[in-house]
Amino acid sequence: MEASREILTIQTPESVRFQYVLAGVGSRAAAFLLDTAIRYLSILVIFILVSLFSSLLPVLDPTGILDKTSKTWIIALAVLAYGMVDLGYFLFFEALWNGQTPGKRKQGLRVIRSDGQPIGWLESAIRNILRAVDVLLGFYPIGLIVIFFSRNNQRIGDYAAGTVVVVEGKSKVFQGASRPRDTKTLIHPEIENYLTLVQPSHYRVLKSFLQRRGEMDERSRHELARTLALQLVEKWKMPSRLKSSYEVFLEEVVSLYEERRRAI
Amino acid sequence: MENDERKVVMLRLVGLQPGASEEKLARALQRIYKGKTEEELRRALMGLPLVLARKAPEEQAQKVKRFLESHGAIVKISIPGAPGTREIKVPSPGTSAEAEPGPDQPRQPYTGEERRAKPRVSEGMKLHPMGIGEILDRSFRLLRNHFWLLFLIILIPQAIYFLVSEGLELGFSGGTAMSSPMAMGIGFGFTAFFAAIIFLVIQFWAQGALIDAVSETYLGHSASVMGSFGAMRKRLGRLIGTLLLMGVLIAVIVGVVIAVGAILAMVSGILTVILGLVGVVLGFHLFLNWLMVDKVVVLEGTAWMSALRRSKELMTARTEAGFWKGTKMKAGLILLLGAVIGFGFQLLFQVPGMVLGLLTQGSTVVFTILQLLNIAATSLATVYTAVAMILYYYDIRVRKEGFDLRMMAEKL
Repeated sequence: MEASREILTIQTPESVRFQYVLAGVGSRAAAFLLDTAIRYLSILVIFILVSLFSSLLPVLDPTGILDKTSKTWIIALAVLAYGMVDLGYFLFFEALWNGQTPGKRKQGLRVIRSDGQPIGWLESAIRNILRAVDVLLGFYPIGLIVIFFSRNNQRIGDYAAGTVVVVEGKSKVFQGASRPRDTKTLIHPEIENYLTLVQPSHYRVLKSFLQRRGEMDERSRHELARTLALQLVEKWKMPSRLKSSYEVFLEEVVSLYEERRRAI
Repeated sequence: MENDERKVVMLRLVGLQPGASEEKLARALQRIYKGKTEEELRRALMGLPLVLARKAPEEQAQKVKRFLESHGAIVKISIPGAPGTREIKVPSPGTSAEAEPGPDQPRQPYTGEERRAKPRVSEGMKLHPMGIGEILDRSFRLLRNHFWLLFLIILIPQAIYFLVSEGLELGFSGGTAMSSPMAMGIGFGFTAFFAAIIFLVIQFWAQGALIDAVSETYLGHSASVMGSFGAMRKRLGRLIGTLLLMGVLIAVIVGVVIAVGAILAMVSGILTVILGLVGVVLGFHLFLNWLMVDKVVVLEGTAWMSALRRSKELMTARTEAGFWKGTKMKAGLILLLGAVIGFGFQLLFQVPGMVLGLLTQGSTVVFTILQLLNIAATSLATVYTAVAMILYYYDIRVRKEGFDLRMMAEKL
């Protein structure tokens, strides 16, 4: 069966286990494209600044003493700046930002060592120098094939540096529409009698619905709320009719369940 | 007497049309099953598929089918005796219908067409809303885990095209001594035309088969090349028809804009440029609106204009806030990233071919190898983006319709 995520488990010498979600080609490509856009934008800015400076040089130095030598220096500095941005961008950001670049940060990715430790200058240098091998004509064909056969989605640079790219643990669930209800002023206080019948799996579905209902269209939202509410009513064999909307009923069930769980 | 027996059919309600309301359908069912309350029928609808009648006269069954389909149901008429369904007994006049299954009717696993009408997610399979990166990650993983299945489905039409075109070339180059150039030209034209039609049909068939295979594997079921092509047999006509309709509509609408632009060229050059741009934007807009149409035809069983409408409904869903998270914008980004990764796949095959071609110039064997590598490269690049778009179709449904929650709710 197709797993929803690829997990890397790291065990420390103290027998503590850490689990990381491995980043795949897609999210890495998205991060890379964003970083590439930033790099090219930076190079463009450097080019414009150098052009401006060289055109303003006769004004800044009317005597013309610096003219000949300075132009050579400007070109040399521009080439150096280009090299710094093109090659150093990944190296410096990953080393200084604890395994992240702006693109990786946006995508919620981080480079870590295979033993779970943060990467340092050496690992960053190795994996980014070897990027030249993975990248062929700018489209990573070698990197793709190596990742395709790799258990931990590593490219050549990752293998050499002993690193992996993981997804940062952050909740991407829509949180806007789940508001806790005051359990002291409930419309259906009788729910309390049936709470022991609520299974954790049932609770998870109800909670997910309440969290994500803001994303749904009106009809699907109403239908789903009705289905979930009626399932509970039927399962509990509740004698009374609902005195509120289905969603309010579900909110009360979830609030009471969470309150009871906190009490335990 | 024999004719009467042949007319007895089984009537099954196998699913709901996309966007159909259970509430409305339950009300429609209530008009047939008068003894049942709307609530009871709604509960019965939660456990589809249902047998509406095991042995009903065909004429009456057709009437009921038409009636229920106009209220959003997917109804199938078949020969009596199919297992794995719950039954609503045909009510005798004045008696109530029975909506619950008998104790001797255990539910069977859903297969084939029924599952596509109302898909089931395999036990333990977790679906959730995904970002662009995760959709592309999962597409890559799906491709890696089911590489031969997905690759072969896309490779088959390409390989057939290669063999047919090579065969044609050989056939016509061998026949030069016997025919006049004009006769040969006409013959080649006809053969190429029919070959193109056959290729188009096989290409659409493979497209549908890929959607079926990706959907099955994504939802945790098993799939095979033969099985996926077989599953598409019944829907192929509708798929081809709907895709052609879409193509014609885009061509006509954009064509009209361009034609108006051409006429206006006599008046003002700027207006022509503006209308040309409008034509391009409009074409792209329509393409994005109908991007999901093939998935809708294969996975939801609708076709023609209703499939186009449904695709538009999915592509204009407002699920997440923000310009970059709009449904069409995300589709555009997925296509862009898919194309970049697909180009990487293409280079993987084409670069060795180019090197080989430079080293051994003019060799027929090398040329054939180059062509085969090109076919493999194109297939791989195509399949990756196609898989990503199918997963995106499910993601929209997960967000917009709570598809995953609905599946989970059914299992509770």
